[in-house]
Amino acid sequence: MTATLIVIGHGMVGHRLVDALRELDRDRRWRVVVLGEEREPAYDRVRLSAYLGGRSRAELSLVAPEFAADPRIDVRSGTPAVHVDRRARTVRTADGDVLRYDALVLATGSRPFVPPVPGRELGNCFVQRTLEDADALRAAVRPGRPAVVVGGGLLGLEAAQGLQLLGMQPHLVEAAPHLMPAQLDVEAAHILQHGADRLGLHLHCGTTVTAVHAGPHGAARSVTLSDGTVLDTDLVVFAAGVRPRDDLPVAPALRLGDRGGYLTDVLCRTSDAHVWAVGECAAVLGRCHGLVAPGYRMAQSVARQLTGRPSEPLDAMDTSTELKLLGVHVATFGRTPGEDGSAIEMTFREGVSRYAKVFLRRDTGALLGGILAGETGSRADLAARVGRPPATDLERVLFPDPSF
Amino acid sequence: MSHILVIGHGPATHRLLRGLRRHGHDGTVTVLSAEHHPVQHRPLLTTVLQGRLDAALLRPEPEPGARVLTGTVATAVDTARRVVHARQGDTVTAHPYDVLVLACGARPAIPPLPGVDDRTGRLAPGVTTLREVADCDRIQGAAVTVLGGGPLGVETASALALRGTATTLVCSGPHPLHERLGGTGAALLTARLQKAGVEVLGGRRAIAREPGHLLLDDGTKAPADSLVLCTGVEPEVRLARAAGIRVHHGIVVDDALRTSDSRVHAIGDCAEHAGRTVAGYESALTQADTLAAVLTGREAAHRPTPAVLRLRTHAVDVACVGPLAAFRRSGVRTVGLLDPAGRRYARLALDGDRIAAAVLLGLPEAIATVSHLYRRGLPVPSDRLNLLLGIRSQLSPAEDDDRTDSVVCLCNHVSRQQLAGAWELGARTVPALIRATRATTGCGSCTERVERLCAGWADASGRELEPTP
Repeated sequence: MTATLIVIGHGMVGHRLVDALRELDRDRRWRVVVLGEEREPAYDRVRLSAYLGGRSRAELSLVAPEFAADPRIDVRSGTPAVHVDRRARTVRTADGDVLRYDALVLATGSRPFVPPVPGRELGNCFVQRTLEDADALRAAVRPGRPAVVVGGGLLGLEAAQGLQLLGMQPHLVEAAPHLMPAQLDVEAAHILQHGADRLGLHLHCGTTVTAVHAGPHGAARSVTLSDGTVLDTDLVVFAAGVRPRDDLPVAPALRLGDRGGYLTDVLCRTSDAHVWAVGECAAVLGRCHGLVAPGYRMAQSVARQLTGRPSEPLDAMDTSTELKLLGVHVATFGRTPGEDGSAIEMTFREGVSRYAKVFLRRDTGALLGGILAGETGSRADLAARVGRPPATDLERVLFPDPSF
Repeated sequence: MSHILVIGHGPATHRLLRGLRRHGHDGTVTVLSAEHHPVQHRPLLTTVLQGRLDAALLRPEPEPGARVLTGTVATAVDTARRVVHARQGDTVTAHPYDVLVLACGARPAIPPLPGVDDRTGRLAPGVTTLREVADCDRIQGAAVTVLGGGPLGVETASALALRGTATTLVCSGPHPLHERLGGTGAALLTARLQKAGVEVLGGRRAIAREPGHLLLDDGTKAPADSLVLCTGVEPEVRLARAAGIRVHHGIVVDDALRTSDSRVHAIGDCAEHAGRTVAGYESALTQADTLAAVLTGREAAHRPTPAVLRLRTHAVDVACVGPLAAFRRSGVRTVGLLDPAGRRYARLALDGDRIAAAVLLGLPEAIATVSHLYRRGLPVPSDRLNLLLGIRSQLSPAEDDDRTDSVVCLCNHVSRQQLAGAWELGARTVPALIRATRATTGCGSCTERVERLCAGWADASGRELEPTP
């Protein structure tokens, strides 16, 4: 007796869930329909900037031949869901098909947030979320010409670096006083900023774009910043964060988190016992996660639940990141609590070449997590020490090669 | 045989007289003292303010061998005839010299505020600076406002709060000591001062002194039965400038503390050595030591003292070690510690494994260790966390305590051995030890250590009296 699982969204997390289910479902109990909005089946969205830089679609694809060949899986790319009827347990697709489900997983992801700036709908204004977005941007690239990237977070930095590699002269505009405000403190951002300076990126931190102005052909030609600066530009990329996609018509409606996203418990369950939400559209205990690692954990958890296996609660999500941007290694590991008084912070800085901050529990002195920027010790080394008191030569673990 | 004339009778002069006597100076020494009362150890005034120290202890024994002319105000220096003109009451006097030492000190900078002084420069009733014991008595009433967010302002405000006075501290920076401590550290200092009962009003300027309060630029009226001005000091250079001696910010001196006139020297707060002026109490004393050696024909050169600023307050332990500029030097690494809940903060600048500069707040043991390592130029232990959280490391001052030749009072060079000797001779209480050795009467930072030593010896002698089984 088989049951039907419908997964709405064929992004990285939705794909991981189905892949995990194929592995775990040894009794071959589940038949799966995956509804993908994009024409392309799942691909590595994290490497979208590499695609912008010239990598092929095939290189980014996440769909292995055996997945595509699995008779249990029915992937319908370019076929978004348009309505969910929870009483009847059916999903209607854009094609007009009505599919019945035993289990439904919402994996609709996010959409780019575009700040409400006058002129944002002009030609040559872009976002970077999909392969098509990247194709459109690549077609507009003019080497030697200026470009404006709005947002100094991870996405904005990747876009700026991508445009720079394609020969443009990017300006980066960030509202916060420093780069990557969600992940880094001001000193770590300073190391990154130094990398940006070295590469010749023009940074405008602590300011916002207040208007995009059209040129003679109706496309974006310049932007005005809140500090009064006017920047000439050939194109504008909005990379000011994402918002969960929680607007699929579902009847009756599902509860949403305070800041959007389908509200779930620690096991990604919505209030409907037949419906789960995973990835960026899920507000686990009210909180959305914009990184792929927490999304993969959610996917794994739901795949286990669907195959009758126990799953650990997803309350303490690993939000650590590691990346190399602008020639600078940046990483976070473990927990990085704010200045709420629960932790002691220790910082180490060497000029503009490296910086590390670690958080220690006030009561036991155990390492909680930290931030690394520049030529520091590896994140893996440090992550392995979380939960224990730090080594007495902590500084040398953080700054391993002895320039001192 | 030469005749030394000294203008000014502060701690630097006192120290100079002692040095000259020790080095066997065979000439005469005359001191012109504008004040009628003897020399005072100014840095301990805030301790007097707290009521924790008898003002009498601020007055060291007079140095024998010098003629001190009190109430004698020097009015002019004639470097060509080598004579100083002075006024003693209504009498005009003249004082010839072979060598002249200017130890005129510094005078408080008075902000130009309506209601603070009369037109002649005399402070209005209820307004005072804090330079001498008599100033402590001028601070009266239930509510006092302290103007100035420097070290003296912070010390004064916390001393007043400790004795139960409703105290307000007003400073123009966002927090007291903002420049020295940086934003995070200074904010924690404010939090600690508030907890100790000081109302801190940062980022405000005083507009006028009005009856019962100080009016601020945002309209706030800081309650002030008394107003204490801690708005900085200026080196006293007027005599030197009028005499044609080279003056920059202070009176410019070389390594032999010599001014542009080879027969005139300057020491203490009025002197400017290597671009630094009003370098503090410790520096004034080492300058006096160097000059005593120079004037008795010895090879000596003044080296700037390691700058260690230690605040004497009950509200919080604060220390600034080394020059602030070291934090911005290239090749320097910084190590920071922040404990927001414990209101503890530290920032070290390391040059190799030596401390180039440090700022510490709320970490008394680390302050002791770091200051010690800095003064001696010793390497820091690799365990920075233990160093900063004060967990005893190899070079902690606790171990240093056991060495009999270790110097306890850096200001007056009193060793542990001298203190032990005084104990043996019957100085069995802290005040008695202070009277006998003058330990603690400099910057006061060794007071706790003297108390600890005294208690330890009392314990040990108590045990000796117990009958052995």
